[in-house]
Amino acid sequence: MREEDTLDALRTEVRGWMEKNAPKDWRDASRTQDDFVATQRSWFAKLVEGGYAIPHWPADWPGGGRSLAEQKVIYEELARIDAPRLLLSFVSTYHAFATLHECASAEQKAKYLPRILKGETWCQGFSEPGAGSDLAALKTKAVRETRDGREVYVVNGQKVWSTMAQFADMCLLLVRTSNDGPKQAGITYLLMDMKTPGVSVSPINQIQGDEEFAEIFLDNVAIPVEQRVGEEGKGWAVAQATLASERGLTLMELSYRMRGALWRVAELIRKNGYENDAGVLRDFGGLVTQVDAVCAIADQFLDNRIKGIERVGDASIVKNAYSRALRAYSLLGLRLGGMDEQYLAPITFGDLNTGNWMADFMNSYAWTIAGGSEEVQRNIIAERMLELPREPKTWVLA
Amino acid sequence: MIELRELTDAAQKAFPADTLSPGRDASWELVAEMGWLMIRLPEELDGLGLGREASTAIHYEMGRVLSSAPLIPAQLGLQTILASETLASRGEWAERIAGGEYVPLHMLPTKLETGSDGALSGTVSGVFEADMASAVVAFLPGGYQIVPLDATGVSVSERAIWDPSRRLFDLVLDGYTPDPALAIADRDRSIALHDALAPEAHLALAADCLGGAAAALDMSVEYMKMRKQFERPIGMFQALKHRAADCKIRVVSSEAMLWGRARDETVSYVQMGALKTHAAECFQWVTEEAIQFHGGIGLTEEHQCHLFMKRAMLNLQLCGAPDLWKERAGRAALAALA
Ligand SMILES: Cc1cc2nc3c(=O)[nH]c(=O)nc-3n(C[C@H](O)[C@H](O)[C@H](O)COP(=O)(O)OP(=O)(O)OC[C@H]3O[C@@H](n4cnc5c(N)ncnc54)[C@H](O)[C@@H]3O)c2cc1C
Repeated sequence: MREEDTLDALRTEVRGWMEKNAPKDWRDASRTQDDFVATQRSWFAKLVEGGYAIPHWPADWPGGGRSLAEQKVIYEELARIDAPRLLLSFVSTYHAFATLHECASAEQKAKYLPRILKGETWCQGFSEPGAGSDLAALKTKAVRETRDGREVYVVNGQKVWSTMAQFADMCLLLVRTSNDGPKQAGITYLLMDMKTPGVSVSPINQIQGDEEFAEIFLDNVAIPVEQRVGEEGKGWAVAQATLASERGLTLMELSYRMRGALWRVAELIRKNGYENDAGVLRDFGGLVTQVDAVCAIADQFLDNRIKGIERVGDASIVKNAYSRALRAYSLLGLRLGGMDEQYLAPITFGDLNTGNWMADFMNSYAWTIAGGSEEVQRNIIAERMLELPREPKTWVLA
Repeated sequence: MIELRELTDAAQKAFPADTLSPGRDASWELVAEMGWLMIRLPEELDGLGLGREASTAIHYEMGRVLSSAPLIPAQLGLQTILASETLASRGEWAERIAGGEYVPLHMLPTKLETGSDGALSGTVSGVFEADMASAVVAFLPGGYQIVPLDATGVSVSERAIWDPSRRLFDLVLDGYTPDPALAIADRDRSIALHDALAPEAHLALAADCLGGAAAALDMSVEYMKMRKQFERPIGMFQALKHRAADCKIRVVSSEAMLWGRARDETVSYVQMGALKTHAAECFQWVTEEAIQFHGGIGLTEEHQCHLFMKRAMLNLQLCGAPDLWKERAGRAALAALA
């Protein structure tokens, strides 16, 4: 069979399955954090059963071994049917998987990977109050000791903005084991059980009122040395594998979902009587085209990756194009919604295009901040793609 | 089939990036020689037999060098003539055009007075490079017609424009009696023909815009690496480099949409209009940034910045202004999302 035929066959199969199995009323069922989490868990379990949860894992896993082109088909169909996005299991199936798969020992893989499929969730403990964009400045300290006859790292410090940490079983943790040399050199990568004594999590209310991320406090947490990934002091390189794990699928999915949600703006235009308002129609027409351009670049990025082409900066372009369009989308909705949108209305967890425009608008900032801020992406594009000179590194207090 | 890459390479060789707006007449000869006029015609008709992606690639390259050869109106003129079901001299015109004669299409209907004897008077404005044309395909009251420029009652006069890379002419009719033998189609069919060709014009212009935008950005980036102030290249300042990055994002995402729509046969007329508008606004924006990136030198006639900006501002207006197309795109999307 030709490749296109195989892909078409897969699409038909996935579509049929999604139509039968994708939850339809999940927005109504995700009005509280607990309900949201329950919805997420059951949808993930269903996808595992159907064989669509981990298409990017190797073929010896059920549902694994899919090519990037096939993964793209699956994500297109997820967006098309408007199924819940897999937020709760995102870090476990992408970040934890990539880290384990590429950098971990055979024992670590055998121990953790099967548990992910059973629904164990992970969080990412990278950012700290003093280390955001400048992640390598992290200070959470780990000291190697022998305790009760076991070699452990004793960890003290604080992590912040860790998405869904309050529900996580495990954490991908970056710690500092040395202050010598360049700051990247003293970083070590650990896998931490969230139930270890000394770990406490306190959820942070995000701007629109949901608790998407949390702080993690680490107070003399003893993590066995076997839980280290890679060598001591080589955690920075492992972290790069974590961060590069997801390969553009999410942005394509999100772009398609935004396009799929343009009807929400159209509905507002009709509801509020703007059908013949030339100014509003222009803004809407401009938005529709901007969203189309984002879908085109996200699509092109993935198609290039399928062909093995990727240049530094490509992913940054897609991310910034998406996040700007998301802002424009939610801002237009908010504007057209008028005064109504200033009254509190229930929010939907885990979705960016909910039609609660004030919430969506505020939430849209997540994409210009998280995962490397808009400005950091601009630096990457300017310095590494356009090859403009880098900023001087040193800075002296006047 | 010629590979797209080869086509682009050939275009870049024929029109090197370091010569902006090379002489019109020599460029025209080169364009004809390369077969680009006939790029979409089947090989039986001596064309190159290439598709929309290929012609888009050429228009992109022509935009990159701010070409002054009127390729877009010439291709459209030829396509209009070939689409005629009634023109007896169709083959003869096609041959003449293949030989390098310039017969542009002027797309839009114009207000003309019809005398009691059927003779037409009035002005058809905005014909590209009419001084080198042998005839113009114009929308007369009866529909599209070939108007030979040496006919009685026909003259052209240039009206100067800001963009130095193109020239616009008024086609002045003063008691011109249309020759029925030169009619391309009746009024209804002409409107249908217009609607079939307009998306091609939009696509070509979008490519022209994005080629120009990419070139203006390249030029700016090079300048920012070279120009030093405060003992460092100005490209080190984030205030500038972030804006350059934003230009890049906008150019690259517009290009992705350009190629997507060039390949997609199902794209609607309105979507092509919206694409052109998006691309022209991108071009405008990059050229505005380019002037600011360059400082004082960017505001001179001596530097090349202004060439890009003036072409961008003209492109913005061609085939309908942005407000019109955005409104249409909004209306169409609203209807589709009912
Ligand atoms: C919704 C959400 C979810 C997140 N989830 C996680 C998670 O699961 N795990 C995790 O570890 N982290 C997570 N983060 C943290 C995220 O990675 C950081 O917020 C991000 O890297 C920015 O760091 P910061 O918040 O400290 O801001 P800062 O780095 O302090 O940035 C403040 C401002 O300074 C700008 N800035 C910083 N450096 C530069 C520079 N070199 N040039 C120009 N401008 C600069 C920034 O762009 C920004 O505008 C999440 C964040 C959000 C918003």
